[in-house]
Amino acid sequence: MLNDITFGQYYANNSFVHKMDPRAKLLILVTIIVFIFLAQNAVALSLIALLIFCGVFFSKVPLKMYLKNLKAILPILIFTLLINLFFTSNVNTQPSWSFELFLGLTITNLSLYRAFYMAARILLLIIISAELTYTTTPNDLTDAIENLLSPLKFIGLKNVVHTLAMMMTIALRFIPTLIEETQKIMNAQKARGADLESGNLIERIKALIPILIPLLISSVRRAYELAEAMECRCYNGGEGKKRMKQLKYSTNDYTAFFIVFLVCATTIAVNFIL
Amino acid sequence: MSILEVKNLTHTYDGNTPFFSDAVRDVSFSVQQGEIIGIIGHTGSGKSTLVQHLNGLLKPTHGEILLDGKDIWENPKQIRMIRSKVGLVFQYPEYQLFEDTVYKDIAFGPKNMGFDDKKIEIVINEICEIVGLKKEYLEKSPFDLSGGEKRRVAIAGVMAMQPKIIVFDEPVAGLDPKGRADVIKMIADYRNKYDATVIIISHNMEDMALIADKLIVMNKGEMVLFDKTENVFKQHEFLKSIGLNVPMVTQIMLVLKQMGMDIPDDIFTVDKAVEFLLRLAKGGNTNA
Repeated sequence: MLNDITFGQYYANNSFVHKMDPRAKLLILVTIIVFIFLAQNAVALSLIALLIFCGVFFSKVPLKMYLKNLKAILPILIFTLLINLFFTSNVNTQPSWSFELFLGLTITNLSLYRAFYMAARILLLIIISAELTYTTTPNDLTDAIENLLSPLKFIGLKNVVHTLAMMMTIALRFIPTLIEETQKIMNAQKARGADLESGNLIERIKALIPILIPLLISSVRRAYELAEAMECRCYNGGEGKKRMKQLKYSTNDYTAFFIVFLVCATTIAVNFIL
Repeated sequence: MSILEVKNLTHTYDGNTPFFSDAVRDVSFSVQQGEIIGIIGHTGSGKSTLVQHLNGLLKPTHGEILLDGKDIWENPKQIRMIRSKVGLVFQYPEYQLFEDTVYKDIAFGPKNMGFDDKKIEIVINEICEIVGLKKEYLEKSPFDLSGGEKRRVAIAGVMAMQPKIIVFDEPVAGLDPKGRADVIKMIADYRNKYDATVIIISHNMEDMALIADKLIVMNKGEMVLFDKTENVFKQHEFLKSIGLNVPMVTQIMLVLKQMGMDIPDDIFTVDKAVEFLLRLAKGGNTNA
């Protein structure tokens, strides 16, 4: 159950995308997300989709991994699809055909188009975000965020950026640990006869208490231990520290930037033309 | 008939991913009513995976587990009932405490098993005697107790389900010598009182020599030895070759033997060694 969501799991490999600078990947991610929403018609969106699938191809991460990720959001996807299918209002244009299902729920060619368009957007968003997390270690990612946000120190937020980045690093680092811990506690309570699988909603929520309380307590304990260990190693924030791993843009990154720029420019053009 | 039988148990983790590995491979053994079985093995040798099959927390990839001659997975919906028959105390069980009083926490298991309030009270009183918890502790919060006391409460929580078979995964890890001796004693007491069968995982060979009738030796997911404790400890060279060892006192005896003394190789407890050395001293140095 807990292993279904592969989001945020690094898939070790040595591909073009893996080797890119995390800052470049992050900037490209943000750009593409913006352009997914800027794309106003199917042609523009399929251009972006093409770019994304190229990225997927070059990431050398098995398609199965992406599909596993999509399975987790399938309910949201279907929900969006249905909502758009039945509740798209056609104000500006008259639909060329329509089909009444029941209870006044009508499908038109416009709503069909819109439903798939919205679903495709969500799909692309998930795939591109998953690609970033598959190809970038969480630590690289926080380094990139810290680096990209570093101009904030000029407006009086000197320590904030480093502290936030450290908090994120720690949070990310402890996700697998906490999942493992949860699994252990669940097993321990199951061994004591806890029933987690049956009963109505309220009973199920109640059944979670024996898991959540020990988990909370152990998280607090871990936080204390970690804080002490960090102090023992003279951690005092980011001041006066140099990174062991310096981030550097390479030719790969510039190539990627250029390609993304081209696609985005075309998208805008397509938006205007069609 | 044996109370518990494991037949050709194989367990593969993450079968469909590149990380798959056999955690346990083709393990078979059977346990008789009332026996104390020790499981020893290197870290990562599959001990914990093995015992999690015994109460149905993990489902075997291949093979089966027979409890009283019946496959425990015969009816998957009834798997919770198996857990009342086979109790499992995890490593560091104190981290699973959650109720606001010790009493309620110990009562969690029995309640899940459908015991009524009266029976729960009787059972808790019996178990508290075995694990050495004083009455006044029952109304305290488990989070106010010391580490060793928490361990007792957690062990009591499983014992209170009165399982016929009780499995301990490293019950003495992280305890001081006194705490260790106490835990070993309460395990023996529980066995004697309820005529239960006990399975213990431990890295502590001294404890094993003291309490276990038979030993299972695991190495890289396979069971390499299953024999009476003394027969296993006699094979000290083999144990060493897979990164295990014999009890400290046996190591001393082995050194003495190498120095030319005539010493039998079945001395595994300090008491036995003292007895033997005293006899040797009284009889003079004739053997040396």
